[in-house]
Amino acid sequence: MLDPQRLARRGVVALLALALAATCATAGPTPLQLPPVKKTTLGNGLVVLVMPTHRVPIVDFRLVTRAGSVNDPPGKEGLASLTAALLTQGAGKRGARQLAEDIAFVGAQLEADAAAEQLIVTCDVLTKDFATGLELFHDVIVAPTFPAAEFARKKAERLGDLASEKDDPSTVANNELGPFLLQHSPLAHPVDGWEKSVTAIVRGDVVAFHRKYVTPGNSMLAVVGDVDPDQVIAALERAFGDWKGAAAAAASYDTPPVKGREVLIVNKPEVTQTQIRLATIGVPRNSPDYFPIVVANTILGGGFTSRLVNEVRVVQGLTYGIGSQWSMFRNAGTYEITTFTRNETLRKCVDASLGVVRKLVEQGPSDEELAKAKRYLTGQFPLGLQASDALAAQLLNIQFYGLDPRYLETYAGNVNAVTMADVRRVLKERFALDDLRILVVSDPKTAKPALEGLGAIAVQEMR
Amino acid sequence: MSSATRAAALALLGLATLLVPARAARAPADAAITPEQLKVERHTLSNGLVVLTHEDHSVPTLTFWQWYRVGSRNESPGITGISHFFEHMMFNGSKHVPPKDYDKILESNGGYSNAFTDRDMTAYYEDVASDRLDKVLFLDSDRMASLSLLPEQLKSEIEVVKEERRLRTDNDISGMLDEQLYATAFVSSPYHWPVVGWMGDLNRIQRDDMVSYFRIHYAPNNCILVLTGDFDTRDALAQIQKAFGSIPAQKPPAPPVDSEPEQRGERRAKVHYPAQDVSFEIGYKAPSVASPDGYVIDVLSSILSDGESSRLHQALVYEKQIALAAGTAFQTHLNPTLFEVSVEMKPGHTAAEGEQAVDAVLARLVAEGPTARELEKAKNQLEAHFVRDFRTNNGVGQALGYYEHIYGDYRKLFDTVPRYRAVTVADCKRVAKEVFDRRHRTVVELKPEKEAAATAAATR
Repeated sequence: MLDPQRLARRGVVALLALALAATCATAGPTPLQLPPVKKTTLGNGLVVLVMPTHRVPIVDFRLVTRAGSVNDPPGKEGLASLTAALLTQGAGKRGARQLAEDIAFVGAQLEADAAAEQLIVTCDVLTKDFATGLELFHDVIVAPTFPAAEFARKKAERLGDLASEKDDPSTVANNELGPFLLQHSPLAHPVDGWEKSVTAIVRGDVVAFHRKYVTPGNSMLAVVGDVDPDQVIAALERAFGDWKGAAAAAASYDTPPVKGREVLIVNKPEVTQTQIRLATIGVPRNSPDYFPIVVANTILGGGFTSRLVNEVRVVQGLTYGIGSQWSMFRNAGTYEITTFTRNETLRKCVDASLGVVRKLVEQGPSDEELAKAKRYLTGQFPLGLQASDALAAQLLNIQFYGLDPRYLETYAGNVNAVTMADVRRVLKERFALDDLRILVVSDPKTAKPALEGLGAIAVQEMR
Repeated sequence: MSSATRAAALALLGLATLLVPARAARAPADAAITPEQLKVERHTLSNGLVVLTHEDHSVPTLTFWQWYRVGSRNESPGITGISHFFEHMMFNGSKHVPPKDYDKILESNGGYSNAFTDRDMTAYYEDVASDRLDKVLFLDSDRMASLSLLPEQLKSEIEVVKEERRLRTDNDISGMLDEQLYATAFVSSPYHWPVVGWMGDLNRIQRDDMVSYFRIHYAPNNCILVLTGDFDTRDALAQIQKAFGSIPAQKPPAPPVDSEPEQRGERRAKVHYPAQDVSFEIGYKAPSVASPDGYVIDVLSSILSDGESSRLHQALVYEKQIALAAGTAFQTHLNPTLFEVSVEMKPGHTAAEGEQAVDAVLARLVAEGPTARELEKAKNQLEAHFVRDFRTNNGVGQALGYYEHIYGDYRKLFDTVPRYRAVTVADCKRVAKEVFDRRHRTVVELKPEKEAAATAAATR
């Protein structure tokens, strides 16, 4: 088998959104034509979307529930994530072992996970094993049993994982950035929580979290793959018809204002390479500036010809990966530049990155850059619409954020409608980094003098 | 592919079984990829360049892969990492495409590109809208014909590569263990050195090394092109001929020397580094693609570590609860390679406990083999993983290139699922006994260390 254990040229920085426009406006590609989506609401309020695709004999199920780490009670950060992890550890008539055995026996994959605002359950199964897949997918959502022994084991594993994460400088940076930037916001803590908060979680918390949030009225379900939509909807009616529960009140949360510049050094003396995060407040997903921001961000730090990649990696050779990301949630967002460099070039790398932002905000992009960014975004978009699991995620994304039902079909038009004036405006309004949090994971002995003058510096031990 | 052809393919895949009850008897191998479903053309240009094509019109995009038959196995001490360095330099200027323009032209046309280097190969791909085939053919034929290797670009890009090494190896625990495992297990094989290269060699590689390496290894007769997605085969082949047909063939490179002697006893190495938990890797010598036992080893790997019902997970993570994760990895290679077991212990548990538990699991598999149901489960899992790879143009192209290069014929991919299906309990016992031989293994252990000591070591 092909086991991808190799080196890829691209930076490892995850880029939020890829997007773009045509240098040659003539002869565009064939317009995107997706199979029709069949949408319905079951009697219990569960929204269902089904799309048939027939490239390979596989079916992908995906359920999204409106509950994530933003719903973690204070002091029990990590509860949504631990609840998700336990869904597959005993459900219906099966214990953890039997569940794992039965899903593996048909070569299927069944996973449950939490994100900031969503609890997600996915199952992909060969078409011939549709019924088995559906039964197990249903059971872990509707009838998890949360056996006490499995709770104890999973909790101990999670604590072990959290300890182990301290060995990965990039994860340490990502985890510590939240509290540094967002303070006490429910968005601030890592989805998996902290060792201290996970220690405080008891089985009853998990049971209550599931009962409160994982309900049909609070959830949406997509099935994409080698199926007949009418048969699928009939099967879902039979499987999920008895599931009851209304929508829970949506979590309300905000992000505190970020003023001025502050620096945090997380103490990790053994590293030879420093992880760097430059971050500030962004916008929610429903921002009217969504498309201008995506285009502007592509120019700044998306793709492989962005200003940041060009200057910091290609010209100065300071890093292997750099990118800028806008993380957008229902009612808040963050904007972040992610990179890393050898300890000796830390200040050079920070200055180079900030210099790239400043120049772009002040001068705006060239017409050529704008056209390239648009063409890039519109060219990339259909690539993410090939695989059935990716399509299921897209369909539920539209549903979750209340986007245009024809979002996928209108995406290219929306990107192409962005003007130079739009981009210049959002760059000035949203991209300047006067109010900034700079976080590094490094040896304070070298990092502190290097970062002198950028703002008040604090040093923190790993928690 | 016309819509009529797609409909026909669908019928073969057994949609009628949609609503069968959960435990119905399974029809064997009905989800395998067959030549009837995956129509491929193979052509060889007069300069030796192999071209594989597969049309699929479900979305208006295509993927263009270039598989060069060169990887770290083709290197020698002093220039380790040069293959991977090429992977970077192939985006850094050719005769008609100045530095930076490759990505600029590609992204201006809505394309995405990436590449990887491994022990046996260096592979590049672009994903683009279907009307931009001409652009990628221009870019990729130009760099094959005449890569610039400008001194200024070499100087700055090697720094990027060194950052990559710092990221994935020097500051990453599993990267450190991996490097140590192969360096200890192999003494003469070209798998001894890491794909990214030793840091000292990265500082040493000269432009002259690059120029001669390029001529030999980046010749058309050392490459496989794979085009998948939304295009017309006749038209695409004509364009490929025009773009690549005039690049001259070169004398084929000499096969790498592999004088690896038989291992006559267990080897052990330790890596001292600040860490929360103990972890270790075990590498058992495993055969190359020349042995048909690779399929059996895939089955063993699945039984040992695919999913929570697998033997290692059940023993170490579920029952004894001494490990956070226990996995195996095996990939078919051109040279004899390793079957890897890797374990991360839970806080408070020792490597010795973990090793003992792994040994017990392996010993039982050797003695008893898998149960019939377990074997069937592994086959079903392998089949489903195999099918999943064909969901995208990129995945199809990757599979075609991989099989053509490693197995010498892309059609071998159609044998994969039937080969898995043919594996018996007796095969599993025989191969497990051969592979899981302590005399042929190497164990590398991470010794978590207090930070001060490690810092002293790191500032050498």
